[in-house]
Amino acid sequence: MSDKNDDDAPPSSPTAGSASTENAGTDGKSPTSVDSPSVSPAPGATASTSSKLKSNSLKVDILLKPAGDAPIMKKKKWTVDRTKKISWVSDFIKKYIKSEASESLFLYVNQAFAPSPDTDIGSIFDCFGSDGKLVLHYCRTQAWG
Amino acid sequence: MADDREILREIWEGKVPVCFQLAQEEVYTGEQPDPFFLLVPRLSYFPLVTDKVLRHMMKHVDPEHHGEMWLEFDGQPLKWHYPIGVLFDLYGMSTDLPWKLTVHFQNFPEEELLRCSSKEVVQSHFISVVKEADALKHRGQVINSMQKKDHSTLWAGFMNDKFDQFWSVNKRLMENSGEKAFMFVPFRIYRADQIPVQKLFKPCADSGESLTLRHLLKTAVPELMETDALISSRVLIQGIEPPLDTPVCWLSEHLSYPDNFLHICLMPRVEVES
Repeated sequence: MSDKNDDDAPPSSPTAGSASTENAGTDGKSPTSVDSPSVSPAPGATASTSSKLKSNSLKVDILLKPAGDAPIMKKKKWTVDRTKKISWVSDFIKKYIKSEASESLFLYVNQAFAPSPDTDIGSIFDCFGSDGKLVLHYCRTQAWG
Repeated sequence: MADDREILREIWEGKVPVCFQLAQEEVYTGEQPDPFFLLVPRLSYFPLVTDKVLRHMMKHVDPEHHGEMWLEFDGQPLKWHYPIGVLFDLYGMSTDLPWKLTVHFQNFPEEELLRCSSKEVVQSHFISVVKEADALKHRGQVINSMQKKDHSTLWAGFMNDKFDQFWSVNKRLMENSGEKAFMFVPFRIYRADQIPVQKLFKPCADSGESLTLRHLLKTAVPELMETDALISSRVLIQGIEPPLDTPVCWLSEHLSYPDNFLHICLMPRVEVES
């Protein structure tokens, strides 16, 4: 499951795990970076730490890996809201690898099955996540049947 | 592998009477076409059984302005990728029969429904769900040991209503003993207006005790058990309310849909007026 490049992401994003990304223009559509530890130790602020923990539990870490001839994403590890759909992740990857919106992109779990586009990430993470993250393979053609 | 073959047969033969009617605002020919009646298998998917409905209605819509056909019940667009029985349990259970659905060719609700351009799309969805189920039950080992032709046999058996052909392959996916015992039970819980719940659930406790539907609900929807909400809910699988102390393994082997998932609908219990 592990990839030696897992942590080879660009340096820190200070907003990790905290800011709402919904109102930050077009960029706000991106998942939050997870380069820095997601729960920062806020000294003396127990209440805020616990609320932060709570908001973090609404997000999960995903690791995006290419299959077939799909281009590599320089940054592979992202944090996304549990309620986001597979179709949203797929659109996000397409934008990132500069693929046309009309081109197809297939997402696979366990290198075995393609969850339906309206499945929420949280459920897939609960069932198929391991080591605190969910690995998704993306591919331009159907890879695993 | 299930030993109550009669139950599998009964489930396989479950059908819902449906009345299809073209949306009034989409009638182009001036005259509302006759409604179309069908008895559809609960286990099937709408795109597999509505060819005739499509042909019947197509003659009455604007030839220049129509897109993919989609179905609606009482304002609720119906997802083609849910088995018909799930849609009926979720939305149609408390209405008069036949179930009256509205047929649309315009204003496809992109936000709510997936596109379905052909039966191949249904097939690839179906096989993918079967693979997911086997990933949960057997770490995918059974499905991966199968050949392409087994997948085709499974699909053809399902699609052509050939019970024996379907079960000749499905019995391997339902293998539940020794090394092939289910690790987790594939299930989804549906409630109107909520995203389905899917979690890991082992059919047996560490002590070896068989876990029941009550245990499963407690794990998957704990908020339901904390209050007395369960008393006011109907727990429907395949249109029936199994006792809550039914072992989940038995349910999985006998009441799963052909996609190998146990689809459970939670419905508010409608008060019977006297």
